[in-house]
Amino acid sequence: MKKNIKKNLCVLRELLYLRIHGLMVFRFDFFAPFFVDGSLFLIQLLAFRVVYSNVDTIGDWGRGEMILYIGTFSLLNAISMTIYFFGVNSIPYKVRSGELDLYLSKPVSPLFRLTFENISPGSVPLIMMSICIIVYGIHMGNIKITLAGVIGYLFWIMIMAVLYYEMEVMIRSVSLYVVSMARLEQMEEACLNLCMKLPGIAFYGIYKIIFYLILPYGIMATLPVQRMTGEMNWQTAVYGTGIVFLFSVITAVLWKQGLKHYNSASS
Amino acid sequence: MSKYLEISKIYMKTQLVWRADVIFNMIFTITKILFAYLLWGMVFQNTERIGQFTFHGMLSYYIMHSFLSQLEMSEGISGEIHDRIRNGTFSKYMVIPVGIEKYFIAMELGIVLFYIVFDFIAAVIWFFVFQIPIPFAAEGFMIICGAVMTVLGMLFMVQLNYFLGLLTLKYQGIGTFLMIKNNLAALVMGSIIPLSLFPEVIVKMMQLLPFYYVTYLPAMLLIGMCKEEAITGLIVITCWCLIMQLIISMVWKKYIRKYDGVGI
Repeated sequence: MKKNIKKNLCVLRELLYLRIHGLMVFRFDFFAPFFVDGSLFLIQLLAFRVVYSNVDTIGDWGRGEMILYIGTFSLLNAISMTIYFFGVNSIPYKVRSGELDLYLSKPVSPLFRLTFENISPGSVPLIMMSICIIVYGIHMGNIKITLAGVIGYLFWIMIMAVLYYEMEVMIRSVSLYVVSMARLEQMEEACLNLCMKLPGIAFYGIYKIIFYLILPYGIMATLPVQRMTGEMNWQTAVYGTGIVFLFSVITAVLWKQGLKHYNSASS
Repeated sequence: MSKYLEISKIYMKTQLVWRADVIFNMIFTITKILFAYLLWGMVFQNTERIGQFTFHGMLSYYIMHSFLSQLEMSEGISGEIHDRIRNGTFSKYMVIPVGIEKYFIAMELGIVLFYIVFDFIAAVIWFFVFQIPIPFAAEGFMIICGAVMTVLGMLFMVQLNYFLGLLTLKYQGIGTFLMIKNNLAALVMGSIIPLSLFPEVIVKMMQLLPFYYVTYLPAMLLIGMCKEEAITGLIVITCWCLIMQLIISMVWKKYIRKYDGVGI
């Protein structure tokens, strides 16, 4: 076990080195994710500022909670962009072109390498920007900060980042079973677009089943915010961890079974 | 003229190959309307009217806006020009006996004419699903103004995307800039929230820009609002189309010499 972790850390260091070396060739592209996603979330903030200039609360949430929500979603997105998005996003292409062969033939987990081979240091400012939005939200909402609240919030951010990762891997694992999965990626984009604008408290009935259970994008930023504001009860906490556990199992099974379905393109 | 009609017809037929895309484009328009339904549903629990909108008025706006913005498909033009200039295959357009800009306008026309039927069906379905009375403007004048403004707005967007694509002649990569432009366009064209909810000063500033007239004002006119802005809107967007055409001519003349083609 210890030997395995040490080996993976060495691989991770080499992947990071190779990635930075590659990024330095196209220097403007280095910060592209920051400019693109940064503008997206700033526009989101501006839009909600306009909505709140017309109303005092949306549901039970005031302006501060909504800013905190946008900052939290932005943080989850930033973690994804920095660490694994560009690697995981390339899975369908590598399956179609047969390039996955190169990953399967190396003495390291293919998913580990795919996850970490395209780390994006240029997205780190996006994490800083998200933290600024979160601090601003806490300030605007006069949210009482406690050590337990902050630790709880960080815990939920961590496991929701895992859920975010699992959703990305799960959707792209489908490419191991089918010829084209453009629709699934389109669906993922549509759901993310919806849930980054709309907190989970807005969902009810069938919408809640869809966005809390089937495609749990609705809980990703909502649960950390509820923990920070003290709205979270133990049932929600159990439900959230249960969903993360359930999707971990589904993702692992889908990926492992998918590799058995994979038809090499080169041999 | 007939050669451009042929281009439109070819692109119309080409869309038939992507039947699944058409259906999924129709289905995914629901996410925009669902966003409006859930968000504004919560907001309108405490109030009956926000700005000039009732809850049904707000949903009508989003459905109409979604219909019009689905038709605005010129985004691909800048990407196509960008890619072809970078890899040297833009020559494909330079060697055929058509005006390149007119080619893209004809292409856009063919695609829009194909999609308009399906997007209209989708809009009508959403009106029924969300049980909203179809709010078409009662006056023919507003419908005509809305339709003409939509056409001019789309023409402007084709020009804008063509112009942005040509900038690749000067700047090697504009991919990041195009993505930022798309994010900004969603806000200033009223896709996220209706522009009339912005502070008055900002609305006045936006009225000077062309984006106000691409999908926002046509959508408002078609649901029977903002009648007083119709004529000025038509004048402003026409002026912007002319200005953009001048800019395109200048940029073309100045930078086309920098292009290195391959495969001729």
